[in-house]
Amino acid sequence: MLRAMPDSRNQPELLSPELLARLERLELVTRKIFRGRLKGERRSRRQGQSVEFADFRNYVPGDDLRFMDWNLYARLDKLFLKLFREEEDLHFFVLLDASTSMDFGDPTKLHYAKQLAAALGFIGLVRADRVQLETLGGSRRARAPVLRGRRSLRQMLECLADMQPGANVPLAESLRHFALRNSGKGILVLLTDLLDKRGYEQALRVLLAQRMDVYVIHILSPEELEPDLKGDLRLVDCEDGEVTDITVSRPLLDRYQKTLAAFVAGARDFCTRRGMVYMLVSTAVPVEDVVTRYLRQRGLVR
Amino acid sequence: MSFLNTLAWWQWVLLSAVPVAIVLLYFLKLKRQPLTVPSTYLWSRTIEDLHVNSIWQRLRRNLLLFLQLLLVLLLLLALLRPGCRGTQLTGQRLIILIDNSASMSATDEQPSRLEQAKRRALALVDQMRSGDAAMIIAFADTAQTQSFTENRRMLRRQIEAIAPTSRSTDIGEALRAAAGLANPGLTRLEADQAVDESLPATLYILSDGGFPAVPDFALENLTPVFLPVGQAATGNLAIVAFATDRNPAQPDRLQAFVSVANFGSEPATVIVELRLDGQSLDLVELSVAAGGESGWHFDLPDLDAGVLQVVLERDDALALDNMAYAVINRPRRARVLVVTAGNEALRMALNTPQVQQVAEVTCVEPPILTDAMHLRQAAAGAFDLIVYDRCQPAELPVANTLFLGSLPPGGAWQAGPVGDVRAIIDMDRVHPLTQLVDMTHVKIAEGRPLQPPAGSTVLCDSVLGPALAIAPRDGLEDAVLGFPLVVAENGETVPNTTWHLRPSFPVFLYNAVRYLGGSHSALVTASAAPGSSVTLRFPAQIESVTVRDPHGAVKPLQRTGQSPFTYADTHVLGVYEVDAGAPQTVVQRFAVNLFDPRESNLQLRSSLEIGHETVPAQPALQPARRELWRWFVLAALIVLLLEWYIYNRRVYL
Repeated sequence: MLRAMPDSRNQPELLSPELLARLERLELVTRKIFRGRLKGERRSRRQGQSVEFADFRNYVPGDDLRFMDWNLYARLDKLFLKLFREEEDLHFFVLLDASTSMDFGDPTKLHYAKQLAAALGFIGLVRADRVQLETLGGSRRARAPVLRGRRSLRQMLECLADMQPGANVPLAESLRHFALRNSGKGILVLLTDLLDKRGYEQALRVLLAQRMDVYVIHILSPEELEPDLKGDLRLVDCEDGEVTDITVSRPLLDRYQKTLAAFVAGARDFCTRRGMVYMLVSTAVPVEDVVTRYLRQRGLVR
Repeated sequence: MSFLNTLAWWQWVLLSAVPVAIVLLYFLKLKRQPLTVPSTYLWSRTIEDLHVNSIWQRLRRNLLLFLQLLLVLLLLLALLRPGCRGTQLTGQRLIILIDNSASMSATDEQPSRLEQAKRRALALVDQMRSGDAAMIIAFADTAQTQSFTENRRMLRRQIEAIAPTSRSTDIGEALRAAAGLANPGLTRLEADQAVDESLPATLYILSDGGFPAVPDFALENLTPVFLPVGQAATGNLAIVAFATDRNPAQPDRLQAFVSVANFGSEPATVIVELRLDGQSLDLVELSVAAGGESGWHFDLPDLDAGVLQVVLERDDALALDNMAYAVINRPRRARVLVVTAGNEALRMALNTPQVQQVAEVTCVEPPILTDAMHLRQAAAGAFDLIVYDRCQPAELPVANTLFLGSLPPGGAWQAGPVGDVRAIIDMDRVHPLTQLVDMTHVKIAEGRPLQPPAGSTVLCDSVLGPALAIAPRDGLEDAVLGFPLVVAENGETVPNTTWHLRPSFPVFLYNAVRYLGGSHSALVTASAAPGSSVTLRFPAQIESVTVRDPHGAVKPLQRTGQSPFTYADTHVLGVYEVDAGAPQTVVQRFAVNLFDPRESNLQLRSSLEIGHETVPAQPALQPARRELWRWFVLAALIVLLLEWYIYNRRVYL
């Protein structure tokens, strides 16, 4: 097996028209209550100004007279205030791991992550959410633009296309940096392969403090899930150049599968216990399936 | 299962370096194919798990190494030539008799019967289990015996060294040599029997069976197996006789007689060529019936000296008997000494021109018999023939003798009382001494009947008894005439017989001078059989001669005492030249010819008669050793395939 690093320009379109049509009907869901900055299309738990009636309550002095239910006052001679559901926008962050290890597979894991990010971002844009796409580590220099509205689709895609692999920053450091910069609440989708030799636990803990709705989408290529190797090999780590000599044999492959399963189970366990949603995705599964089926089951989209 | 070493020690050293080299190559840094992966994170954790694994995991990692070592091991085993013993070899001790007589040079088997026999003997040796001992005996008319050994390499070398001979076959000596080891009680002293137990042995006889039966031999512990070598019905044309002689009708001319035998089953026609010193003299076409013989006389001019050769113009299985030689030596005048007190008839008969041509006659008086000088000459063989007329030496000389009216000393010859002989009643007309001697009307007064010693031939019988007889004595011959030619009566010599008046008397003396004087044999030397010894007579003053064999090898001979020279290295067929003294002078020649119908008969015998046993031929005994090395090579190939499969599909193991 040779190093699979296809030119990203030759990658297929991030979003196909069919997918866009299907994505238009979806919306992002958060399990937590957030306060948006702008009035958006999203119904908030907060009562506020919208067309959707929520409840009545007794008038207390100081309330806005515009929400007074005059009909009830006429009938009952009591002052009631109509409460409405507030519709607000949502902070939707997508963090892409752009380390060199993501540049593997066909399509590359990074491209797959971009497709996922584009799909989710598009859903957010359509629902007038506040969408922000960043690469891990890359955000240090230039802050990613905050996108809102369907018109920003092109800008979002350009932003994604500009993302290049090679930003080998420790996961924990880049997430801490992100957390420092973005204190707001919202949905955070982390697209990564979690292959950080320093471990992912420390990194994910940083996100806990943010009280964000965190989705960890663990992207692995089929080559990693079912390695097809033969013979005596010297494996070279593409990030740090570390060398591992292996002689491929059935027991070794069995052992690898066990290690991989333990790794995945460990990550799932870690995330589930801490209220994060963990999902393992193989790049062999089409993006639309992931978005329209699996993420729907997980409750990220509706 | 037995093993045969096929390699020398240094080759084994080289081979044993191969597995070591394989192991070393494995322990050296394996060249691994570099492969860039997203992360070695999972792999290194996997390897860490494996590092603490059992040794079986290591073995599995080195499966290829072990397969390769197994492959090399199998090949090494194959090189050891493992084999299973067949059923034919039964004896713990083998005695292999290989016939190398003349008939084994026949080329009906490729390349020859002897080579085929050697090949089969080698196959027998290959079959030997370790611990088996074998003995190789090559035999023709004599046996060359090697000692028992377990060393197969030595046995093979001994077999390889067996060379063809031109000799006749006599298995007796070989059998006795074999029996000496198998039945020691027959040949050893009583005391040895306790030490050396008789051991049964299997006797393998590799021969064409062309030898006489051995009736007086007991096999006892020997189990004979006759492995015939050769094609069953092999025809052969052979010269079985070739002789030259004076033409009896024309004494100044020579004639050569050749006899050709056909041992095949088809009548044959062959061109016989006579050559003199290599030049063709005559050609004749002979038709020989199947199993028959036919002869031919060649008439030759009188030749001084030369080598006559007769050649059959035919390519048959045995080339040795398609050529024969006869030697005509330069005639030498015989030295004849006549010891007589006075005998005019004798003197006159020996003075004929014919006698003078072939002999140099000296007459002396009987008193010389006590002369020291004469005794020394007589003992040294200075004379070819000494005629004692009515006298007797104290000791027989080293010369042929003719006693006239007296007896040789020593007592071997006896005679009856003196009586009236009157007439001769019977004559041997075949013996050279009495050829053409007609004594029909000879009258004889007195004489004594002879009582010759054993082995003698009576040539002439009178009324009283044997009147003329001849007896051999150490390569010489003594002829005795039972009656004197003259007798002394009253101081005068008077004839005792009328023989001296007859023409037969000078003829008899001429015969005696020629035959006993040696000029007969000087003219045409009798042919010697290969391997036999040839006696060469030379005057006493010649102390050494050299013999040049047909291949040109020169062998000097030294005289020991007063005995004649004896040459025994007559292994090669052809003409031998004897040189006495002066350089480059060929004094005498003799021919060695096969002339053995038994050797020339190439028909394969179906059984042997040894003692009272009939040993049937074992038909086509194949090498019984079952070679197993092929299986080892096959196994090595399978291991190689497996190794290749695992190398390619290692993932699944």
